[in-house]
Order: sequence, then C-alpha cells, then structure tokens
Amino acid sequence: MNHMEFEKMLQAAVSGSHEALEQLFLLYAPLIDKHSKVDGQIDEDLRQYILIHIALNISKFVF
Amino acid sequence: MNHQQKSEHDELRARFTAWLETTVYRARLKYLEREKPKVNIVSIEELPESALAVSEKAAYYANPKSAFDFEEERLAEAFAKLPIKRQEILTMLFVEERKPEEIARILNCSPQHVYDQRYQALKKLRIALTKDGDKL
Repeated sequence: MNHMEFEKMLQAAVSGSHEALEQLFLLYAPLIDKHSKVDGQIDEDLRQYILIHIALNISKFVF
Repeated sequence: MNHQQKSEHDELRARFTAWLETTVYRARLKYLEREKPKVNIVSIEELPESALAVSEKAAYYANPKSAFDFEEERLAEAFAKLPIKRQEILTMLFVEERKPEEIARILNCSPQHVYDQRYQALKKLRIALTKDGDKL
C-alpha cells in the first residue's frame, strides 16, 4: 500500500467507513494480535474488545 | 510525489501507528482490569487442613523466641530502622545461628544475597551507632 492509499484509507476510516476500518484492522493485525495475547495465547474476547475499542475511538484521531 | 509530500505521509503513518499502539494498550489494560478474577474470601473454618499447613518461613515469623534481646536501646532503635528483610537475615544469622545457605533457602534468594544484606545491614548499624554516639 502506497502513501496516498494509506492516507485515503485512514481518512475514510476516521469518517466512519466500515470497509476502510476493516482494511486498517488487516494492516495492523500484527500489532493488534500482539496486544491480544494473554499467557502467550491470543485471547479472542480481548481481541474483539480491542477491535471495538478502536472502532469507537478512531474518529478521535486528528490528522 | 516529491520528497516533502513523502515525508509528510511517513509522518502521518508514524503518528497513526503511535496513536493506535496507545489506544490498543489502553483497551487491553481496561479489559484485563475488568476481567481480573475476583478473589474469593473463604472463612478459616471452611479451609481444609492441608491449606492450613504453615511453611518454614511462616513458622519462623510466628515464633516469638526468634527476636533479638537487645540490651542496648540505641542498637534496638537502629535495628528497627533497618528494612524488614535485613532484620530477618540478621536475626536468623545471629539469634538462630543459621548458615547463610540455609537462610537463602528459606528466603528464596542466593547465599550471596544473604552475605550482601548482612554486610549492608551491619554497615548501617555501625553508622547509626557511631552517629548516635557522637550526638551523646
């Protein structure tokens, strides 16, 4: 993904696009997975909680 | 895309990554705090006998004979000011005459740590007593 595509996707996600948000989740999956681990294993409930938290707060990101 | 535009985009991506990392970290803390298992409080009568078995360390603390018998008040005061762990080590060394290796086993630390703590504790006591002596 080039720089322009990333900016467009981020803008769309911040504006509330579900598709763009999904793309962001895919792009940042390693970071999300890293923080979703409990005792070395991915905790699916925690992962879901993190994804919802991002979805609810992404509009607060300031360009 | 010129060089300036490229660096602006890099900066945006870096800023977003940092924001996301913070957001995810906070979400994780919030979740773990909420999901932290609650400690069940059980009355002592309900506990099985095996759960009441005391460790060597616990037995040591419960034994009132293991305290220093200080003849000198100044020494007692200086001793009381030492960290609890150092007090324990000195008591075990000089009152109970245990070996450093044995103390290390009881306290779950290395014998070297016991030697270090003894050295530091005696040094502190010496300094405290010298200071007090000067004042008198």
